Amino acid sequence: MSKIIEAKGITKRFGGVVAVNAVDLSVEKGQIVGLIGPNGSGKSTMVNLVTGELLADEGGLLFNGHDISRMPLYKRARLGMARSFQMLRLFHSLSVEENLVLASHMRMTTSVVDSLFGRAAAREETERARAKARELLAWFDLQEFAERPVTAMSIGQQRMVEIARGLMSEPTLLVLDEPAAGLSPPNVDKLIVLIRRLRDEFGISILLVEHVMRVVRDLCDRVVVLDSGQKIAEGVPDVVVKDPVVVEAYIGSGWKRRAQA
Amino acid sequence: MKPYLIGLAVALVLAVAPFVLGGYETNVLMMMLFFVILAVGLDLVAGYCGQFSFATGAFYGLGAYTAAIMSRDLGSPIWLNLPAGAVVAGLFGLLLGIPALRLKGHFLAIVTIAFQTIVYLVISQWTSFTGGQVGVSLPNPAPLTAFGVTLVQLGSLRSYYWLTLAVAVICLLLAWRLAHSRLGSEWIAIRDDETLAAAVGIDTTRGKLTAFIASAALAGVAGVLTAHAMRGVTPDDFTIWISATVVAMMVLGGRGTFIGPILGAVFLVLMPEVLGRLAEYKMLIYGSLLVLAITLMPEGVIGRLRRRAAR
Repeated sequence: MSKIIEAKGITKRFGGVVAVNAVDLSVEKGQIVGLIGPNGSGKSTMVNLVTGELLADEGGLLFNGHDISRMPLYKRARLGMARSFQMLRLFHSLSVEENLVLASHMRMTTSVVDSLFGRAAAREETERARAKARELLAWFDLQEFAERPVTAMSIGQQRMVEIARGLMSEPTLLVLDEPAAGLSPPNVDKLIVLIRRLRDEFGISILLVEHVMRVVRDLCDRVVVLDSGQKIAEGVPDVVVKDPVVVEAYIGSGWKRRAQA
Repeated sequence: MKPYLIGLAVALVLAVAPFVLGGYETNVLMMMLFFVILAVGLDLVAGYCGQFSFATGAFYGLGAYTAAIMSRDLGSPIWLNLPAGAVVAGLFGLLLGIPALRLKGHFLAIVTIAFQTIVYLVISQWTSFTGGQVGVSLPNPAPLTAFGVTLVQLGSLRSYYWLTLAVAVICLLLAWRLAHSRLGSEWIAIRDDETLAAAVGIDTTRGKLTAFIASAALAGVAGVLTAHAMRGVTPDDFTIWISATVVAMMVLGGRGTFIGPILGAVFLVLMPEVLGRLAEYKMLIYGSLLVLAITLMPEGVIGRLRRRAAR
């Protein structure tokens, strides 16, 4: 199977702290790969290194075979990478629909100058983006919010808008950073179904950072476990969660060992 | 269509105004139009794109000095000076945009103040080129001619006022289109959350630089119009006081609302005229209004009204 994203020996230091230490991580086409680990294990740093908010100090990063290790954020997005954020991030002064339409600007073929002079082709293209945004919102059962400000929605709904925004640009890789955080248990069930459909119906490969074990066990083809910036385990979820090293990192003497250091 | 019709109606009223008003009032209206262009220009970069700038006065001056020096050295007419002033100011806008790629908030504001100061120092000290404190004087604007036939006389106050009005309408139309184009919504995205904007594939470098260029070019156009209207330029016409006044216009009216800064400019230019002798204290009044607005109504008058309406 071909790899959508492949990180080799990624290292990131913040001053003297090694946040991510020589981690290998890959997501194959059509897979859902989980990235788990205790708080402060480097998951968010790893995600930010993959999406381009941070640049790695060492190591290589391939996306669909392209070297993207020095590529800025917006160019990675243009290559087909979309993400959601742990802390919800939406454009607050814009409507829900406008939030989605912005995510498809990079796919538009008419130029900004066409849009400036209100040329028919540009207007039609924006109309198509709007129609697509509404279609996606309907898919998430949020169509009635299209013209309202994003702040009019609940946290759970805003999270769905973040995922819908990710779909607008037809990505090949979707990076979801703790999508279940703050969701009620019934909504977590819905989320699990939804993420599986993203893979099955849209054919999107997914890198999933998650704390809620149920989500990880239900969805992931493979999980990578980080602890103190190191990869400590990798494999099928049911096997990995029973791995003594992983158990120790989460609840065992892991914190004691760190306290001594 | 509605905003265009309202704009057209206002422009028509302004166009017939000189028939009822005297020379002094016409001059005040003309000054008001200069500031409307400046305030809308600042709104593009600071209101829409969220990049605060205290350098409006500098770009205004760069436009004005471009017109004055080109007239002096090349004898060029106003219709050539207008695009030239926009281009020169726009290029300096690009220059100021470069630090904005790395700096945010207060730090960027300080850099724009520094830029304003540098431009002022250069135009006041480079005596051989800019005339120093004395400045440069301009001849009466030559009539607009084509193939030897005079199309428009620009020598009289009235005709020059109409030219100003026409240029202002074009500037506002362009700014309106920019703000409501795809580029305009990218500016808003950058203002709201720059990291998110980049994460959804928006080229934030292009966004910020275009906002700085557009804003500076508009100020440059206002500068050219002012230079020809005043028949001359001096460094003290383009100080940081101008920048501060334009900031006050934008903030009072409402950042990123388009109409707000226009109303702010109209209000702050006309206010000293009705104050009589109190007009001497206008900077004090502007300052107080600005402090009050930022404390009580940071989104400005129009911003507040819109939020009310949205509820």
